Amino acid sequence: MSFRHLWAVTRKEIQHIFRDRATFILVLITPTVVLLLMTYTLAVNIEHVPLAVLDYDQSPTSRAFIQRITAGEDLDLYSQVDSIAEIEDMLIQGQVKAAVIISPGFSRDLLSLQGIDLQVIIDGTEPESGGFAVEHIGWRAEAFANEILADQFQIQGIPLESLQPIDLRVQAWFNPGLKPIIDLVPGLISIVLGFPALTVALTLAREHEHSTMEQLLVSPIKRTDLLLGKIVPYILVGLLNVMLIPIFAILWFRVPFQGNFLVFIALSAIFLFAELSMGMVIGVFMKSQSAALAMSFLVVMFPGFFLTGIFFPITAMPEIARLESLFLPGTHYAIITRGVFLTGIGLETLWPNAVMLLIIGTAFILISALFFKKRLA
Amino acid sequence: MNDNQITGRAENLVKDFGDFRAVNQVSFTLHKGEIFGFLGPNGSGKTTTIRMMLGLLAPTQGRVEILGTEMDGQSSSILPRIGYMSQRFSLYNDLTVLQNLNYYGQVYGLDSIKRKLQVQEALAISGLSGSEHIQTKDLSGGWRQRLALSAAILHQPEVLFLDEPTAGVDPVSRRSFWDLLYTLVARGISVFITTHYMDEAEHCHRLAFIQRGKIIAQGSLKEIKQTMMPGQVLEIDTDQAGKVIRILRKAYQNGNIDYKDLELHGSLVHVITPQVQSLSRHIKKLLKADKITLNSMSVVDPTLEDVFIACMRDNVPEVHNE
Repeated sequence: MSFRHLWAVTRKEIQHIFRDRATFILVLITPTVVLLLMTYTLAVNIEHVPLAVLDYDQSPTSRAFIQRITAGEDLDLYSQVDSIAEIEDMLIQGQVKAAVIISPGFSRDLLSLQGIDLQVIIDGTEPESGGFAVEHIGWRAEAFANEILADQFQIQGIPLESLQPIDLRVQAWFNPGLKPIIDLVPGLISIVLGFPALTVALTLAREHEHSTMEQLLVSPIKRTDLLLGKIVPYILVGLLNVMLIPIFAILWFRVPFQGNFLVFIALSAIFLFAELSMGMVIGVFMKSQSAALAMSFLVVMFPGFFLTGIFFPITAMPEIARLESLFLPGTHYAIITRGVFLTGIGLETLWPNAVMLLIIGTAFILISALFFKKRLA
Repeated sequence: MNDNQITGRAENLVKDFGDFRAVNQVSFTLHKGEIFGFLGPNGSGKTTTIRMMLGLLAPTQGRVEILGTEMDGQSSSILPRIGYMSQRFSLYNDLTVLQNLNYYGQVYGLDSIKRKLQVQEALAISGLSGSEHIQTKDLSGGWRQRLALSAAILHQPEVLFLDEPTAGVDPVSRRSFWDLLYTLVARGISVFITTHYMDEAEHCHRLAFIQRGKIIAQGSLKEIKQTMMPGQVLEIDTDQAGKVIRILRKAYQNGNIDYKDLELHGSLVHVITPQVQSLSRHIKKLLKADKITLNSMSVVDPTLEDVFIACMRDNVPEVHNE
């Protein structure tokens, strides 16, 4: 390793970035713009889902409960009905998207600290709003139950702290406003920061296309110096993005930032290293910019969407996809961004992901150095 | 250290691409302070040979040695002593002249003091002083080639490989490019240059003709002219060169005269033959019969083009249309 060689390549790449307006825009502006576009395209802010309610209990508690679930902007009480048949009619007519059936023993079961039965029927032809309704009714029911129980505890003189164990699932949602955007943005950050990886894959192909590669191959420069020299400037540019994007996420989307900013920057740098090394492997194999671009989409962008657990839970994936997701930098970084933004966890929890990113990055760099022959054919 | 010191050697180089033999049993040596020209038509194996010399391509057979080191792809210690300018323009168009030079200086590991010095000198000898901050893409072809050459010699290589460095460059720029080369050679470096320009080949100290991957002639300009010509050159000056050619061809076909080659050189006709005396008598008769005025007829020195074309003709049996 020679720092003079490494710096030579790094400096030249930085000059390229600032000279070539297209690259400059691609690496600096694109991530933020794409984040904005994707958030608005993908965030499904379903509101005012009409509900039918069939209340068999007819108690003050059940009435309070009905009021509670329809108090927000998300669910609207369309009608209180008296029979299942009416619910069926309304669902078929499309007047309601979901129906809640409160069982006769609702308040009794609740107050006697038994589990409560709550039946929710949804319109299966509209899984989005149906699923949304189920989810939201669930949260409300839980919150409601906890409040009732807290009252009961107080009446019975049981200290409130012992309520905590039942409270677990509510704690798991760090999104009290119930807005999907907030949950989505940190995950999307890990996708949009894949763009520098795309560019780095192109820079090697560009040297091939402009036959400057031939010139480099007869120079005394070492393979690893060349490859690292090309990665370093894009890590720096990526870090600019890393600083730009949270500001945007916090000020524009009002996403909370609970964690430590320095920890976030450090972990982002490690992520960029891993992601760019992955781009470098593509650059080593693809000799033209167009091939490198197509391959980057196939290997970096698409798995970024589908396999990193941002949209689809990894636990629901088949074995092989779960294994692949483990080797994608995006998987680990999505955990990091969500953790740092929404829950404020730090290195004490995230270190395995950081270690994994370092391993992935080093492995990819070694692979590219191994396959990057200092010969033309 | 004598001037005839060998700085590079190719021994029986063969390169196959599948069934196609691009380079076939090529051997030559490079000497200190000498320009060695590799002359051949497009697709004759010039670039493939140069890439094998540099270790960019592994030869199918044979070996390459430069400055006493075997070039086998693992020979990175020798690379700082070699310079290379590839066929295609090999600088970064979007960077400035100075940025390009600085980059190559760093790539070759020059420390900053030495680099500044070398870059200044490169700018001076290539005539680019004052144009440091021009973007390379805004330079004209000739200037780019000079910049590329300056970049290739920044690290003061002992052996320099140039692959068709003047392709597509105007004659004046080519001339100054060659002046630059002579300056370098005078300092004792070896230059290996490929070209398909005859006038450039005349400037080389030693030459090899390559055709279809094979060297068909090799030596100094004088040696090649002496050994490779199948006769002497008879130069005929008339006012009707085209008609003379037709008459001579017809006489040749009828078996009245014999020659090795017949070429039009501008308004002059060149006839190559081993028997100058008898042929010139025949030609005089033929021209008289057709009432063509003969301004002069004399034996002249063959040009390199005469030799080259004669050599190529001799190898015609191997040629089949591509």
